[in-house]
Amino acid sequence: MWLFFKRLSLLGMLCNMFLMTGCDPFVENNTIEEISPVIFWSINTGEEGKLKISTLVPPVIKETKRLLSLQVDLFKQGGEKFNLIYYRELKRGQTRMVLINEELARKGVISIINTLLVDPEISQRLYLVIVRGNFDDYMQNQIKTQPDLDYFFYRMLKHYEKYNQGEMSIMNLHQFKSTLYSPFPYPILPVFKVNSDNFSYLGTAMFDQDKLIGTIKQMDDQIFQLLNNDHYLKFLPIPKLATTLGYIHSDVHKKLDRTYSTLSIQIDITGIVEEYRGDKNIIEQEQFYQLRDDIEHYLEQQTTDLLKKMQQYKVDPLQFGNLTLSPFARPMSKGKWMDYWQNMEINVDYNVRLAPLSNVQK
Amino acid sequence: MFWNKSKEDKGSDRGQNQSQQNQQNQQSQQNQQKDQTQTKTATPLTLENLKQKLAKMDDAEIIEREPNADLKVTFIYIRTLVNQERLNESVIEPLNHWTHNSVFDTLSIAKIKSISTLEEALEQLLSGSVIIYDVFYEQWWTVHLDIALSRSIESSETETILYGPKDSFSEQIDQNITLIRRRLPITELKTESFNVGSMSKTTIVLMYIEGLTNPEIISIARDKLSSIDFDLFLESSNVAAFMEEHPHSIFPQFQQTDRPDVCVYSLGLGKLTLLVNNTPFALIAPITFFHHFQSPEDYIHRWIIASFLRTLRFISYFVSITLIPMYVALTTHHYQMMPMQILFVVMESRLNLPFTPFWEAFLILATLEIIKEASLRMPTKSGQTLGVIGGIVIGQAAVQAEFASKVLIVLAGIATIASFLVPNYLMTKSHAIIQFVFLVLSSFLGVLGIVIGMIAFLAHLSAITSLKQPYFAPLAPFHGRDWIDLFIRGHLPWMKTRPVYLHPLKKWRTSRRR
Repeated sequence: MWLFFKRLSLLGMLCNMFLMTGCDPFVENNTIEEISPVIFWSINTGEEGKLKISTLVPPVIKETKRLLSLQVDLFKQGGEKFNLIYYRELKRGQTRMVLINEELARKGVISIINTLLVDPEISQRLYLVIVRGNFDDYMQNQIKTQPDLDYFFYRMLKHYEKYNQGEMSIMNLHQFKSTLYSPFPYPILPVFKVNSDNFSYLGTAMFDQDKLIGTIKQMDDQIFQLLNNDHYLKFLPIPKLATTLGYIHSDVHKKLDRTYSTLSIQIDITGIVEEYRGDKNIIEQEQFYQLRDDIEHYLEQQTTDLLKKMQQYKVDPLQFGNLTLSPFARPMSKGKWMDYWQNMEINVDYNVRLAPLSNVQK
Repeated sequence: MFWNKSKEDKGSDRGQNQSQQNQQNQQSQQNQQKDQTQTKTATPLTLENLKQKLAKMDDAEIIEREPNADLKVTFIYIRTLVNQERLNESVIEPLNHWTHNSVFDTLSIAKIKSISTLEEALEQLLSGSVIIYDVFYEQWWTVHLDIALSRSIESSETETILYGPKDSFSEQIDQNITLIRRRLPITELKTESFNVGSMSKTTIVLMYIEGLTNPEIISIARDKLSSIDFDLFLESSNVAAFMEEHPHSIFPQFQQTDRPDVCVYSLGLGKLTLLVNNTPFALIAPITFFHHFQSPEDYIHRWIIASFLRTLRFISYFVSITLIPMYVALTTHHYQMMPMQILFVVMESRLNLPFTPFWEAFLILATLEIIKEASLRMPTKSGQTLGVIGGIVIGQAAVQAEFASKVLIVLAGIATIASFLVPNYLMTKSHAIIQFVFLVLSSFLGVLGIVIGMIAFLAHLSAITSLKQPYFAPLAPFHGRDWIDLFIRGHLPWMKTRPVYLHPLKKWRTSRRR
């Protein structure tokens, strides 16, 4: 009797183990040669309020590539309809990128984000990218010359994400979701500009919740990388001062006063002067310090302008609102914070420490 | 005492101590009764009876001699079992000068004894003795003069090591005992002799160190040996088959070795050694699962290197049983789990294959097993041919013919080589079965199938015993102290205690503490 109960309890434990892990005994047929794992979805606005979704098939193997495009009412509808027009079953388990058109992003991407989030097959390590221009045209043009373009694009995003290269604002679904559902929902995404022949990084898109509000580019985007994203830049060309700084690491100290009326940001920067083509003789210490002061002043001005732009856009992608959070207290509402943020006085102070090009004479 | 035919009690381990003692008492009583019955039913030894028994045995010699007119002696022996030179020197020559003394006084030889029954005479005769019948005094004598047929002491072929002792056991049990006794010159090293096999009359010597090895374990081994009832024992694994508590398990519960240093090390830890006549392989028990991953060389290398090598063996064993099933699981069910770069390669290599991943893996593994088995059975000179055929047919032609993917060939190669890292050959053979079981499970349930397989594998290991001691110790039951010689091989001076699962009478290996 004891043995019977022992065996019964062991069987019960085994069954529970499977149930608790959510394991499904009815497995799908995923035989690798019969399926076509989708690497990316490109989502655009279609006709009559529809979505236009595209992907490249087969994604990884060396067969003739085809760009599949469909106009659908629902995002998931695409997966089903693609199966009817392609001989391999499309599977979502390897989706690594979702490219969203800028126009669509301005209308809001919450439905797409939520659809991706609830899909158990899709990993949250999925890069979200905003595209300005027609990505489908670009793909169609490049299929013959660069058949593995989708894979190389994924590798590029992975490269810049993994080692914090400080070149691009790379975001994955998990990071986007975390900011989107935080008390101050102002996520960011990278923006790529595309035409039929070229594909290039443009800057960082700023969101108010799920709607794209504006894009910061060039020098503003570089400063954004220093302030928030990577705190590192490999190069920072400043054409106005005829200087290129290199290997720049930043240490940002933010301070919000008690009345939420003044924000003080002190940014300590270390780096080297990589290139100088100006009039100063920076081998001399005094002139070198003068250049350093010019750089400090320039960066302070640029950063202040960038933050003012954010205030105008009514967005807070640098998450200054988090400075208002304290333990055991309810977070401030988004609207209230925005009221403070729009009227906030901003003091930016740069402290630049540079290694010169060569030995400096006193 | 091979005529003891009482069957081994297959009761549960629970409360085994008491039941064992009772059983032992009962058994010894039964043995005594049977001994008495044996004596009562003994056939009287006469020349006629003996001649009748030896009829139609061409190599049986019956020679009658009359050194003097009133003295007559008969020699009976099996020519093929007796050393003829020693017979002439030690028996025939002295008896030529025989006076009226008894044979015992005339023959100044150590191995002479008196016998009185036909059964005794036959047993002696077949073990290489000469029976001498003194007609005058009507006395029967036996002189042991067997031919010491033995190969020289060679190095082990099954457990080769680069450094360390090179000698290994031979088929001569006395020679094997000598090799052990030379390494353990202590009187506490006891040897108990048993005879098994109603036809083979195989001698088994049970060796242990008195005052160190747990008497309960000795008693279990003794009982198991006494209860063996079979006709032929040609190898020590035959004996192990009768002594194992879980004969249907694929894991050997006795360690087989032909290395005397391994036997001595085991004896010193508190284990038993069984030497079986006519085989170079001794049995060591009780052992655990982890003993199969230990090599004598572990105790020769620097401890960090030895630990690295031992850990490598465990990892290799794990890899060898899970690598191919994992490939099948990933390519059949979990394409999501593969990094994209690997997915590239796998999809590309499987594109035009006619088989599903399961059948592809099954066929390749079956072929590899065939090649492995063939390489053992083929003459050494044909080995090269086999290597070429195996390499070209499996490695190249199968891929070119698109019968198997390149990835699988690489993985199968890694898994096969990894399986050979386990020093114990019998254990190496078990991996193939586990691999096939995991393969089937993974094809149906994917990684979940492998997990179920692993649970069953670990549960089975936890359930089996070796001489009624836990087979999965010191992991289950947990003995933290023994972990110093488990996945790593600790520094020798740190290994001051003997394994807990053996319950040795002397815990400490150092002489200062007892």
